[in-house]
Amino acid sequence: MADVLDILELGRPGTPEVTKESIMGTGSQKPKPKYKPKNEVLRKPEGMARELFNLLVNDSKDAAPLFPTDTGKGYKQTKAQLGVRKVRPWKWMPFTNPARKDGAIFHHWRRAADEGKEYPFAKFNKQVHVCSYTDQEYHLLQLDNWTRQETDHLFDLCRQFDLRFTVIQDRWDSVRYSKRSIEDLKERYYDICNILNKARHTTGPEPKNIAYDADNEKRRKEQLKRLFERTSEQVEEEANLLQELRKIEARKKDRERKTQDLQKLITAADSGGSVTGAATEHSPSTHRGTPPDKKQQIRKKNTPFVTPKAKLELLPSVETPSTGIKFPEFKASGVFLRSQRMKLPPSVGQKKSKAIEQMLTELGLELNPMPTEDICQNFNELRSDLVLLYELKLGLSTCEYELQALRHQYEALAPGKTLEIPPSLLSNNDPTIQPEEIPTRPKTLSEVIDIVGTAATPMRKRKAALEQNNMLKKIKNRM
Amino acid sequence: MSGGVYGGDEVGALVFDIGHYALRAGYAGEDSPKAQIPSVVGVLEKAASVEMMDVDRIKEAAPASEKKYFIDTVALNVAKQDLEIVGYLKDGMIEDWDVFEKILNYTYAKCIKSESEFHPVLMSEAPWNTRAKREKLTEIMFEKYNVPAFYLVKNAVLAAFANGRSTGIVVDSGATHTSAVPVYDGYVLSQGIVKSPLGGDFLTMQCKQLLESKDIEVVPPYMIAAKEAVKDFEKPKWTRKSNLPEVTKSWHNYMMKEVIRDFQSSVLQVADAPYDEDAVSTIPMVHYEFPNGYHQDFGCERFKIPEALFDPSSIKGVGNTMLGVGHVVTTSVGMCDIDLRPSLYGNVIVTGGNSLLLGFSDRLNRDLSAKTPQSMRLKIISASGSGERRFGAWIGGSILASLGSFQQMWISKQEYEEGGKTQVERKCP
Repeated sequence: MADVLDILELGRPGTPEVTKESIMGTGSQKPKPKYKPKNEVLRKPEGMARELFNLLVNDSKDAAPLFPTDTGKGYKQTKAQLGVRKVRPWKWMPFTNPARKDGAIFHHWRRAADEGKEYPFAKFNKQVHVCSYTDQEYHLLQLDNWTRQETDHLFDLCRQFDLRFTVIQDRWDSVRYSKRSIEDLKERYYDICNILNKARHTTGPEPKNIAYDADNEKRRKEQLKRLFERTSEQVEEEANLLQELRKIEARKKDRERKTQDLQKLITAADSGGSVTGAATEHSPSTHRGTPPDKKQQIRKKNTPFVTPKAKLELLPSVETPSTGIKFPEFKASGVFLRSQRMKLPPSVGQKKSKAIEQMLTELGLELNPMPTEDICQNFNELRSDLVLLYELKLGLSTCEYELQALRHQYEALAPGKTLEIPPSLLSNNDPTIQPEEIPTRPKTLSEVIDIVGTAATPMRKRKAALEQNNMLKKIKNRM
Repeated sequence: MSGGVYGGDEVGALVFDIGHYALRAGYAGEDSPKAQIPSVVGVLEKAASVEMMDVDRIKEAAPASEKKYFIDTVALNVAKQDLEIVGYLKDGMIEDWDVFEKILNYTYAKCIKSESEFHPVLMSEAPWNTRAKREKLTEIMFEKYNVPAFYLVKNAVLAAFANGRSTGIVVDSGATHTSAVPVYDGYVLSQGIVKSPLGGDFLTMQCKQLLESKDIEVVPPYMIAAKEAVKDFEKPKWTRKSNLPEVTKSWHNYMMKEVIRDFQSSVLQVADAPYDEDAVSTIPMVHYEFPNGYHQDFGCERFKIPEALFDPSSIKGVGNTMLGVGHVVTTSVGMCDIDLRPSLYGNVIVTGGNSLLLGFSDRLNRDLSAKTPQSMRLKIISASGSGERRFGAWIGGSILASLGSFQQMWISKQEYEEGGKTQVERKCP
């Protein structure tokens, strides 16, 4: 993307500056917005000839180069310049290395001109500062489980191995002294450094201490070790559990989505006949804004949906566009047949339109009635209500199914117990769902998860299809 | 200072790398050793009419012990009466100092062709070398050879340097053993060293048993005067040299071993996965012709023998007492600090002549990745060339001794004279 911007010579969004404030979040003021350099248009000074000005300023707004850049060599091959300078002789000469304390003399090849200069590699001789203590100072450093000899040994090793504590621990004389861990050694060393620092800086500001928390380090290493020593089975199990967790979460989300759909349906049902076809100008936002009148509220309380409704209202209410069919307003200019208004919009799926068809035939209605103005509007409203009814029934059966599934899950998790579902939650007019036999064997967690997981997809579809048939029959009966 | 850019500075140092198979010697800064001298010598007890070796000219005449030494491949391979083969190393450490000195004398005279007092010497040692031996070696180098400076480095560290690493776990599969040595910042962590006696010599022994069981007679080339071409599995037709002297058993065995070693390096291969007769039988056979003209194809055997390196439970009689290569590595890493383990597994450096077995590092990679946690980054580092692999430690020494910043590390003659031989413990940890 940035490349495209570059090519088009558009400014690219500047990356926010990384400062201490921006990381720590302490800076109260916002970072200054960067100003783009403005493309200043150079004005031709008055009185200057246009030709002269064009020489100075060209189209790309760069100033003309001050001296020629073409040196005239072009693509010509430059001749190798050999033998111009005198050969600088090399000499096998002795040298001493200032990094050595013994002044040993070695020999090496060096340019004769460099004779007598300092050994160039001596500057790489970097030493780590290891603090030291005197006999007088040692009384400050006494510790019960560290003898003087042991401390001296530690500091010798520190100096020899430049504070590489891993190596120090490896070479620790565990025959003469007790065995020590890296953390013990580090703790002792840093403690001594801190004490000495404090003791020597009696005046002036407090010196900075080296913070070292041996216990924390030990715990950290313990954790790491445990992580390292997991067997492959353990790792696998963890991966499995994580996967199951993801599945459960996906299912939960699925359920939430369904609940929201249901809520949508219920709200639509509650607003009753207000869900109408295209003829009434009606938008979901106004629909949501209008408070339901009192009559409706009273009626709501008497409906068998009371409990789920109460539960649903605890959920965060979402934007619920009315369900049913939304017939689009006919916008095309010119003459058109009124029967066009009765055409189902493409958003209505095949399944739904099939259901509508079926219900219409069961009601003994024509599929394509005479499109008078009245019939058009009423027919559309009727079909919208039919879809709503269909969806509500479907939602109910899904809820029932969820309930049963949860009951099974509960019973599997707590074997021997049965979950009494309060009758208010059961729709008594649905005889299809029979309590299944309770598994007697106690189940493991993963088995339970599996039961729920596999039951979710194929069974539900079949059941839903079954429901649909039942529902149609019931609708017919009621009619 | 010639290659200032690369940090190199040439001081004419010599590098010696002592291994069980051979001693490698050469000038620091070069890419391969000048000489590779077998780690065995021929010893002749009494001074007979046999002509004297040149090497004895350097050695002051010691008529009391009338011993003649035959050093290097050329002298060793000539059949002589009563010539015994003697090694001077044991478990990677110098055992017979006399023989060692003889070899050093020979090296200076014949390979280096220079005086020892002009060249600082860097020597490799086994990571488990004892203090007494290190001190003795230091003493010999300064007192006897009068070197201007000396330094001792563990060969695992050098092998790591040769592969451009200062931290890693060095898997060295050599002649007598396979070892895993953790190296941290150029220091060996001696508590994490794990050794297994399964190396090249072990494979040679197994090959010998195999050939015996197959009733294949191994005839070293020194016995053969002429041979004729025969068909597969047919009895070889060869004529014996007529004027062979009465050779000793050890010498004959040494010659046999050379033949088997050749067989071993040209035939054996490590299977990609744990040994499986069916899988292996699909792989094409390998043809091998012995010095006496006998030749045949070898199939499953060539995978079965090296399998013992990775899965010692397949060895008869040994059982579970030994560790396979993969196990050696994981055990060694397991003994190191938890913070180091990722960097060790990220730098598994494979070196040593035995690791040149076909498929060795692939199999190691497979075995290790099965044993390490998945989150651990595993990387096997092995030089591709056979020279780099065989001379890994020597090349590391060559690099180290020619570094400008290394020149302050030597134990100089002055320091030795002031501090004595105990200097080596302090200066070369």
